[in-house]
Amino acid sequence: MHLFAQDLVNGILAGGILAVVALGFSLVWGIMNIINLAHGAFLMLGAYLTYQLFASFHVDPFLSLPISFVVLFALGYLIQTYLINWVARAPILTIFLLTFGLSLLMVNIALIVWTGDQRGVTTAYSGANFTIADVTVPWTKLFTLLAALAITGIMQLWLTRSKTGRAIRATSMDIGAAQLSGVRVAHIYAIVYGLGAGLAGVAGTLISLSYAVNPGMGDPFLIKAFVVCVLGGLGSVEGALIGGLVYGIVEAFATQLDFTIGTQHISGSGLQDAIALVVLLIVLIVRPTGIMGKATA
Amino acid sequence: MTTTAVLRRIGLGGITGSPIAIAVALALMVVLLAVPFGHNGYLEIVFRNILMYAAMAYGWNLIGGYTGYVSFGQVAFFGAGAYCSAVLSAHGIDNLFADVALACVVNALFAIVVGLPVLRLKGHYFAIATLGIALALSDIVANLDALGASSGLAVHHVDEAHFYVYYYAMWLVALATILGTYFIARSKLGFAFVAIRENEEAAAVLGIDATRYKITAWAISAMMAGAAGAVFAPANGFLDPSIAFSVDSNVFPIVMAILGGAGTVAGPFIGALILAGANELLQRYFIKIHTLFFGAMIVIVVLILPRGLVWLFGLKGGARTWLKSLTAYKA
Repeated sequence: MHLFAQDLVNGILAGGILAVVALGFSLVWGIMNIINLAHGAFLMLGAYLTYQLFASFHVDPFLSLPISFVVLFALGYLIQTYLINWVARAPILTIFLLTFGLSLLMVNIALIVWTGDQRGVTTAYSGANFTIADVTVPWTKLFTLLAALAITGIMQLWLTRSKTGRAIRATSMDIGAAQLSGVRVAHIYAIVYGLGAGLAGVAGTLISLSYAVNPGMGDPFLIKAFVVCVLGGLGSVEGALIGGLVYGIVEAFATQLDFTIGTQHISGSGLQDAIALVVLLIVLIVRPTGIMGKATA
Repeated sequence: MTTTAVLRRIGLGGITGSPIAIAVALALMVVLLAVPFGHNGYLEIVFRNILMYAAMAYGWNLIGGYTGYVSFGQVAFFGAGAYCSAVLSAHGIDNLFADVALACVVNALFAIVVGLPVLRLKGHYFAIATLGIALALSDIVANLDALGASSGLAVHHVDEAHFYVYYYAMWLVALATILGTYFIARSKLGFAFVAIRENEEAAAVLGIDATRYKITAWAISAMMAGAAGAVFAPANGFLDPSIAFSVDSNVFPIVMAILGGAGTVAGPFIGALILAGANELLQRYFIKIHTLFFGAMIVIVVLILPRGLVWLFGLKGGARTWLKSLTAYKA
C-alpha cells in the first residue's frame, strides 16, 4: 500500500512535467499540423540556458522560467518566419524532415558549445523533501508540478480570452475564414511555433531541476510528448494536462514491473519505449480522439 | 491523357522517374563492381555501406515514396534481418543465402502482423507509430537474453581473405532492390501504390483494395531492409541493439531517398551515393561537425530541392522553372 501511494505520487509529479512538454508540441501539431521534431531540441536549449544562467550568474531556476520562454519564443518565431513558412503548404514529409534537420543542427551546436558532459542544476533546496504518511515528496518536484499547473492555466486563459489567442483558434478551425476576417496566417503560424518553442524552453527549465542536462536529453521527451498528445486529444490545453498526468502515472507503475519467465528476466525500467508504444497503440485503437478529444474530420 | 502523362504533370517524370537517371544509376552500379579489385579494405567497407544504405533507401522508397506512407521505423526491419543472421550463425549455419532467405521470410511475416493495425493509421500517426515500433523492438531485443541482450552477439562467416564475398552479396541485394523497384513500379502493383498515395479514397472507389496493397508495399519494403541487414551482420562480425537499430540506419535511408527523389527508381541510389560519400569524407576530416553538416544539409535540401535531384533530370525550362518552384509551397 505504501509503495502504491509512492508510485502514484511519483507518477503525478512526473506527469506535470510531461504535460508542459506536451503542451507546446500539441499546440503546434493541432493548429499547424506540424509534427515538430525540433521540440526536444528546444527543450534541451531551455535546460542549458537555465544551467548557464545558474552557473554564471546564480539565477534561481524558477526565476529563469520567463527568460527561457522569451528567448526560445524569439528563436521559434524566427525559424517559422524564415524557414518553415517557405514550405508551409508542402507535403507533410517535407516539414517533418525540415524540423528533424533543425533538431540535428541545434543538438550538435549544443554539443560543440557545452560538450557532451552531463550538467546539473543543484540549488540550495535541491535535495530537500518532506514526508506525508510514508510518502516522500521532493520540494523541487512539487514546485515543478505547481509551476506546470500554473503555466497550463495561463495558456488556457490566454487562448480563450485574448485577441491573438482567438485568432490562433480561428486559424486552426478554418484558415480561409480566418484570413477573410483579417487574420494574418503567416504571422499567426510564427506566433504558434514561437509558443511551442517557448513552452518547450520552460519545460526544459523545469526538467533541469530534476534531471541531468546533456545535448541528447530532448529525444526521450519527444516521443513521450507525442504519446501524451494522442492520449489527451490534439491541440487542447486541458488534454495535454490530463494526458500528461495519466501517462506519468502509467509509466511510474509500468517501470516497476519485475518478473521472470523461464530463464528470461523482465524488468519494466529497461522497456520505457516499449511501454510508450503499447500505450500509444491501445489509445489509437480504443479511443483515437484521445481522452479529452472531440470528434474531428 | 494516359496515367503516365498525369504522373508527369504532377512533377515526377512518369512512374519510374527520368529514364536517363535510371541509366546513370545502373552504369554507376556496374562501375561499383570493380571496387574490391582495388584491394583497399577501407574503400570496400565505405562502398559496401553505400550499397547497404541504398538497399534500405529503396525499401523506404516503396512505402514512403511510392505508397505515400511515411515510415520512420524501417530500421526495425533492418535490425530484424541482421538478428536473423546472428541467430543462424549461433546455430552453426553460416550461409549468406540462408541468411537472406530467412530474413525475407521473417520480415514479410513481421510486416504483415504489425502492418494490419499500424497501416490503418495515416500521416503523422503512422510515422510515429512506426518510430515507436523501431524503438520498442530495440528495447525488447536489449532485454532478451536469447539474443545476447544489450551486450550483443558475434557473427562470423568467412575468413579475412574472402571478405569481398560480403561486398558482392551487398551489391546483389542493392541491384535486386533497384530492379525490383523498377519492375514493381511499372506493374499494376506500382500504379496501385501511387493511386493510394495520391488519393486513397478515390483509389478505393476505383476498386483498389487499399489495405491489401499497403500491406504488400510494407512487406516488400521490409524484405529489402531485412536483406541488407542479413548481409550486414556477418560482414560487421558483431551485432548489438545499438548497431542493429541505430539512429543513422533509420534516418540516412529516408534522407537519401528524398535527396535523390522519393517515388522514383534512380533517386534512392543517387541519394545514397552522394550522402553516404559526403558523410564519410566529413567524418574523416571534420569528425566534430559532421552531424552538424548533416543537419544543415537536410534543411537546405528540403528548402531548395523538395522533390529531389532526379526531378532536375526531366526539368523543362531549366533554372527558371526551378527558381519558380522555390516559392511554390510558401504560406
